[in-house]
Amino acid sequence: MPVVEWLHALEQTRISEVVRESAFPYIEGTHVLGLSLSVGMIAWVDLRLVGATMRTRPVSEVYESVQGWMLAGFCLMFVTGALLFVAHATKAYESVFFRAKVAFLLLAGINALIFHWTVNHRTTSWNDAPVPPTAARVAGLTSLVLWLSVIAAGRLFAYDL
Amino acid sequence: MVWSALQPVVNWLGGSALGVWLGQSPTRIAILFVVHLAGLTLLLGGTIVMSLGLAGVGFRSGSSAQLAREIGPWRMAGLALAIISGFLIFTGGALTYFEGQWFRRKMTLLLIAVIFNFSWFRIVTNAPDGRFGPWARRLTAGASLLLWFGVGVSGRAIAFF
Repeated sequence: MPVVEWLHALEQTRISEVVRESAFPYIEGTHVLGLSLSVGMIAWVDLRLVGATMRTRPVSEVYESVQGWMLAGFCLMFVTGALLFVAHATKAYESVFFRAKVAFLLLAGINALIFHWTVNHRTTSWNDAPVPPTAARVAGLTSLVLWLSVIAAGRLFAYDL
Repeated sequence: MVWSALQPVVNWLGGSALGVWLGQSPTRIAILFVVHLAGLTLLLGGTIVMSLGLAGVGFRSGSSAQLAREIGPWRMAGLALAIISGFLIFTGGALTYFEGQWFRRKMTLLLIAVIFNFSWFRIVTNAPDGRFGPWARRLTAGASLLLWFGVGVSGRAIAFF
């Protein structure tokens, strides 16, 4: 079955109908305010990696302090985002901003994985450094730029609904 | 009474060259909304971190006053971004926004949140350790979260209700 037909079928489901016709403001509101827990938490880790804040705290302390809230935040974003997608699946699929948002999300995920696999296991040597080494700073800055792009594309996508 | 006293200012703002120029273009408003969301993320994310510090959750090294010094400037930058972009968004549709119940609720809550932030919240956050008991600190953190997220929730409600 082609994607568009599959998305049409998705929009015929009960859950799609409920979100579209009544729950949308609440789910969308949760999605927007969930920014504070997801991007709003990862931003502190990124800023610490860049060396822009909390320089006297170990990187591990900043990460561990926000980790749980951040993961809860990203779960919340994924669930509410999926529900919003189901409500307007075809329009989302056709929107250039939605496609850009998904692309930026994937890039942010890849950036986090690369950082985790290559740089992060050496954290112990610069955990206390006020300004981390260049590779870590690049990873932090890349993350900040990508998440800001996700927010921008997500907000602009709302105009295609 | 207070609101009707502001009506002439709102009329002037909406009819000003800036108000007309902003109101003409959905693109300008869309860009301002992106800035507004970026500011919201920084402001609410910073509020969460400072509240966690006050409640003694995470950020173990250093006092809540130190954490406030590290986070504060970023959080205030977020507030400034949100207020400046918000003011411009309002200017682009002043008369319509001004009539809205949720807009008025949001502005009332924002005023309370700002006053609370620069009085009691600042006193408790900057107090030396031991000056306030754990429950006073937790309640202050909770009140701060409630107020700032209340501003966010009523902001989202402007779009829908």
